[in-house]
Parts: sequence; C-alpha cells; structure tokens
Amino acid sequence: MNAPDSNDPQLLAGLIGQLNVGLFVLDPEFRLRLWNRFMELNSGRSAAEVLGRVIFDLFPEVDEPWLRKKVETVFQIGGYAFTSANQRPYLLRFDHHRPVTGGIDYMRQDCTFLPLQGPDGRIAHVGVSIVDVTDKIISEVQREEALARLGDISIRDGLTGIFNRRQLERSLEAEVSRVRRYGGELSVVMFDIDHFKQINDSYGHRAGDEVIQAVVGYTCGVLRQPDIAGRYGGEEFTLILPETGAQGAMVVSERLRETLERADIHVGGQSLGVTVSVGLSSFRADVADHEALLDEADRALYRAKSDGRNRVVMYRPANP
Amino acid sequence: MNALAYTEDQLDALGELVNIAVGQAGASLARVLDTYVRLSVPQARVVSAAAVSRAVTELTPEGTHDTVVRQAFFSAMRGEAIVLFGRQGGRGIGDLLGYQAFHDAASEEVLLDVSNILVGAVLSGLGEQIGARFGFQAPTVLGRETELSELLEPAAVPWSQALLIEVDFEVESRGFSCHLVLLMPEDAIERMRAVLNRMLAAL
Repeated sequence: MNAPDSNDPQLLAGLIGQLNVGLFVLDPEFRLRLWNRFMELNSGRSAAEVLGRVIFDLFPEVDEPWLRKKVETVFQIGGYAFTSANQRPYLLRFDHHRPVTGGIDYMRQDCTFLPLQGPDGRIAHVGVSIVDVTDKIISEVQREEALARLGDISIRDGLTGIFNRRQLERSLEAEVSRVRRYGGELSVVMFDIDHFKQINDSYGHRAGDEVIQAVVGYTCGVLRQPDIAGRYGGEEFTLILPETGAQGAMVVSERLRETLERADIHVGGQSLGVTVSVGLSSFRADVADHEALLDEADRALYRAKSDGRNRVVMYRPANP
Repeated sequence: MNALAYTEDQLDALGELVNIAVGQAGASLARVLDTYVRLSVPQARVVSAAAVSRAVTELTPEGTHDTVVRQAFFSAMRGEAIVLFGRQGGRGIGDLLGYQAFHDAASEEVLLDVSNILVGAVLSGLGEQIGARFGFQAPTVLGRETELSELLEPAAVPWSQALLIEVDFEVESRGFSCHLVLLMPEDAIERMRAVLNRMLAAL
C-alpha cells in the first residue's frame, strides 16, 4: 500500500493546475516553463500555446526592462521579490471577475517571484505567483471614499454643499489671525433671505429648501476664487472675503443683492421674487476677534432688515 | 546581567558571522545593481523592548529619514526587517532596478524593491552562515518616523528582548543611502546562541 506522499508528482501537478492562484515559471531566457489553469483561464492562452515562448513576445503590456531586472535579481540573490497591487496594479492585463460591481478596469494582482533551485543548488528558474486582489483593492477604494465623505460631512452643510457654521467660523478665525499677523484686508458679509418664513408657510418646507439651494447657487456665481461661503443657519448665510476692504465688499454685496433680485427663482412652476438683506463689516486692528467681526456684520444685517430689506448696510464703528 | 545576553566570546563570534554575511550581501548587491555599493560594518547586539525604540530611532537623527519599509522573514529564526530611507527616497537609484521614469507611484515601488533586495541579500548571507533558508513576506511601507516609534513602543511589542543587527547601505555614485535594521525577538537569541557555540567549539 502506498502512503500518501505530498511530493507525489501527480498530486503536485493536480494542485498546481487547480490552484486558484496564477502560477508560471520562467527560465533565465524568460521563456515560459509552466503555466497553470488559472493562467490559461485568465489569459485566454493555453499552456500548449505559451510554453517555450518568451513572455515579452506573448504579453506586450509587460514593462520589459523592469521585469527583466526584477527576475534577474531573484536569479542573482536567490531571495524572493514582490509586487503589490497598491503600487503596480497588475503584472499581466487580465479581466477581473466583478464585471458588474467592480468599477475597476483590470484584475489587481499581488505577485511573488520565487527562486527555484536546480539540482546543483543554483537558481535555475524563477516561479511567479499571481493572486487576484481585485476585491481587496475595491474595498480599499470604497473605504477611502467613505472616509473622504465623512470628512466632507463634518465641514459642509448637507443641503447646499457650502461650509457649515462650524467650518465657517473656523475659516474666519484663521483669516482674522492671518490679517492680524501679516496685514492685508478682510471683510465679512452676512445676509438672509427676506420673508423666508412666508415662503415656507405658503409653499412648504420642501419649497423652502429649494429656494435656499437656488440662492446658494446664485451666490456662488457672484463669488471670486478665494471667497468662502457658508450657511450660518436656517436662511442665513455668511461670506468671508479675503483681501477685500470695505469698498470691495460693498461691490460684491451689492452685486449679490442685485443678482438675487433679478434671479428667476421658481418653485413648483411658480416664479418667486426672492430678495436678500445684506450686512457687512471689514476688519480693523481694533476688532477683538472673529466673533466680534461676525457680530458687527450681523448688526449691519439687522439694520438692513429694519431699514426695509433688499438692501446692503455696512457696519460703521462710529455710527453702529 | 540578564540570562539572554551573550558572553563576550559569543558576541565576538556573532560579530564575525554577521560581518561575513554582510560581505556576501555586498557582493551580490554590487552584481545586481552593477555598480559599486558600500555596506557598513554591521553591528549586532541584544536589545530590550524598553530600549529598542530609542536604539532604532537614534540610528538616524530625528527628521532625517522619511520613509520606513518593513518586511517579515521566517525560518529557524524569524523577525522583521526595517529599512529607513532618507529624504531623497529612491531618487537616483530607480534606473539601476529597471525603472525608466521616476514618478510618485514608482517611488514607493522603488523603495520596496530596494528594501526587498537589501533584506534578501543580507538574510541570504546570514542564512548561509547559519545553515537556513529564509522565507519572506512582501515588504510594506510603514510610514513616517512617528509611526515607527509608536510601533516599537515597549508596551506595544509582544517580546521583551530581541537580537538587533544594523547596517548602512550606500550607493555613493547615486547619492543614495538607507539604513537596515533586523530585529529577531526572543527565541532567535537562543537559536543564534546555539549556532555561535558551535562556531566557538569548532575553533
């Protein structure tokens, strides 16, 4: 009776053939000496077709100088060599097995290059294993996207996509300390939608949300590249205008007011005349901090409201 | 004096063994890279978990290295190799490894390749001296120095003593250098002692 032998050539051949890992063997002239079933299935080329042929002639997508060096180091040092899909997506261009849910072009591969000793103890061949890590890479990509979204959620307003109040205050604090240290100008604008409560009451909250989104859309069209917009709360918005003094901020604010006055904002097929009241304040050395600056703009906004709405009011230190 | 420490004779033998191993590694690296390379005289000693973080980080003054690659190896002795790269990274050496263009995606791959070749060469030399053939895991980029010292926190490592071997690797013509640290915990110290005792007995 024959005891089971792990070195039984038939067992080994069966195992190598069926293994769900790509295996092939190169000789020192880069001719293929072994090509298992995984390789046949994924490359669409049978062992009979490829054995004895030089790998570079069969797979032109392979970076030849790089692979030559890689395999030669295994022959010379006798150690292993590796490639990871994180740095090099694939060695051979195979389709992957997530044609439906993949969102990735080709099979991602982790490869190991193995020194295979000949009878004299010298490295006679280099074996290469290819593990399909497409699933792992896809979940890594998904995780990174989720993390990026989480990061975004913590700084942006969900309805409009502009900064939320916390991020807005953080940005303003940074801008204030920047001008205090390095000089330059800085203005803050606060504005809100006139009679927003009536829109909500007459058309519903969904319509109110649409108006807010439309107002933000028009607002972003007025802003210049370094300007920062945020939703302070409800129907109230804040703009941070770096490198902008009182005069410049007045121009931006007036343009914003006019743009919205002319804008054709409609809800459920009905056109609404939407106007905004705007208050603004510019940084001076005697402004205590970013909260004080914001407070000044808010007081100017209150003044714009009480003076009849749809107007721009600048905060004046001497005459608040 | 703790029980795991080597005697002076054992340390001498260890120094000699490691020196021969690194000499062989230097020869095969020069052949692979087809250029003159320099490996420093290796240092080998037993370190405690409490001292290892300092021992590794003081090899390269704070802030002078940028990328750290680690790689596991296993055989009769198992451990991990840590390769510390300077700010220049793999710049200047990529073409010696068959890379045609130097770009960000390739730069990490170059560092992983250099690490793998260096670790492979030194351990193949060491394996020849102690009569073992090492297996390897794929190397991975560990990240910045802070992460390394966190990983080597005495409270975070599951061993108390390790055999530490360190060597500098330099390709002067390319302005390239890196630092290799091999750490083999606990039972590797005893296995190595047996090897050293055999060496000493044969003298």
